Amino acid sequence: MEVETGDLIVGAMMAVFGLIGLTLASGATDNEMYVFGLSLTGFAAVFGFGLIRRHYDKAEAYARKENGHG
Amino acid sequence: MANAVEYNDDVVKKFVIACVFWGVVAFLVGVVLASQLAWPELNLGLSFTNFGRLRPVHTSGAIFAFGGSALFGTSFYIVQRTCHTRLFGGEALANFIFWGYQFFIVMAALSYVMGYSQGQEYAEPEWHLDIFLTVVWVCYAVVFIGTILKREEPHIYVANWFFMAFILTIAVLHLGNNLAMPVSVFTAKSYNVASGVQNAMIQWWYGHNAVGFFLTAGFLGMMYYFIPKAANRPVYSYRISIVHFWSLVFMYIWAGPHHLHWTALPDWTQTLGMAFSVMLWMPSWGGMINGIMTLSGAWDKLRTDPGLRFSVTAVGFYGMATFEGPVMSIRSVNALSHYTDWGIGHVHSGALGWVAFITFGALYYLVPVLWKREGLYSTKLASWHFWIATLGIVFYITSMWVAGIMQGLMWRAYDAFGFLQYSFSESVSAVHPYYVIRMLGGVLFLTGMLIMVYNLIQTVRGPARQPASLAMAEA
Repeated sequence: MEVETGDLIVGAMMAVFGLIGLTLASGATDNEMYVFGLSLTGFAAVFGFGLIRRHYDKAEAYARKENGHG
Repeated sequence: MANAVEYNDDVVKKFVIACVFWGVVAFLVGVVLASQLAWPELNLGLSFTNFGRLRPVHTSGAIFAFGGSALFGTSFYIVQRTCHTRLFGGEALANFIFWGYQFFIVMAALSYVMGYSQGQEYAEPEWHLDIFLTVVWVCYAVVFIGTILKREEPHIYVANWFFMAFILTIAVLHLGNNLAMPVSVFTAKSYNVASGVQNAMIQWWYGHNAVGFFLTAGFLGMMYYFIPKAANRPVYSYRISIVHFWSLVFMYIWAGPHHLHWTALPDWTQTLGMAFSVMLWMPSWGGMINGIMTLSGAWDKLRTDPGLRFSVTAVGFYGMATFEGPVMSIRSVNALSHYTDWGIGHVHSGALGWVAFITFGALYYLVPVLWKREGLYSTKLASWHFWIATLGIVFYITSMWVAGIMQGLMWRAYDAFGFLQYSFSESVSAVHPYYVIRMLGGVLFLTGMLIMVYNLIQTVRGPARQPASLAMAEA
């Protein structure tokens, strides 16, 4: 099963968010920026994992359907 | 064939759940704040529980978390049905809009209680959160407008026009009001590019149009879809709805200066804001009449459908608030009402009576449809919700009218020698009983909300609908 374009774009966006979050947290001069930076990285990582999980769930469902088990 | 398109209802369900959750949070914090105003000891002497930090949690919670989630969810539901196509951009983008928006809300609330704010009312989040919200909002615009562009219907239903005005104008307002220079990339502190009276003017151009386009245009989109659906009647006059749309969006954008009467803002600007605010009365009432008259021939449904009762009462409150607003915008009336609790009462007749009630009506309609249930778990509980919440609003707005007008009169009273007759602290003591009544109104409104939460949870846990009636509901 092909990877959807939307998944790719959003996945790339999450990679950028994760890096921005790490950068902000590493140089933060106040608590707010530190908390935001780490949270943004956490958000991007969890969302990225969610994208991967949904892709494989869909691929399995597709394979089951193709094999006539769906 | 109504069922041929597989709509993305997962994201709508998520927004419905978020809307209910944030509603409880926002109303609960509202009750805490009302209690703090009546009994200041409840600030607890802690920085993160004081009124100044909790207030934006309440306002942002009610407007952007509760109201915003309702708008995202219903706009995605409506645009798919009226364009007869699935959401543009795929599942991942829709999910990002949901989780990105929730992330923004949590981060903003956290920053408020930690003491970070850029000091712009209803736009308190600092620059880094504003940029993140901009990304989410652009994705929202892409999905919504993309769905309209790939529609399978020749016509764009009027509800979608209102949603588009809401999305595009909020984008412009957000960018305009949040133009700021950060102290550094690693610091959550920025300075707005405008200062003094220019900053005030931009702030209230933003603030009033957040009311006009977030809390009015978006929810009118909801009205134009759910009232005809629930009443099973077409919109009373489609022509009025178009006139309503264009006149409202043209006039609202000029009305902001009425928030700055008797200030350093030039007189002509104040007069311009006042004139457009008074003119706004007519399109607003045109829309109200259109919403209410849609029930022609279906008034009996108000007895049996509490969701519809919420929607129609909401339109009544919309009419009331859009009459009160123009009156308060008149400079001589504003001399009495400004800075008093009359303003708070006015805002809440709109927020509770219009925004929350039209949302409750939509939620009572949507939950059984989205979760494929025969109907609500209990219409009786929904009816209890309606009357308890209505009583709560009456307590709230009447107490604030009395408190506000009393404050205004006390502040301007002179004695025979030309001295002020009352000290400020005397006016604070005088409004104490009304603050307690306001708090009780808030408790009633929150109680109604909790009844709705129980009712909706039981609805979702109830038996699924039979396939035949499911097809009828989707049609």
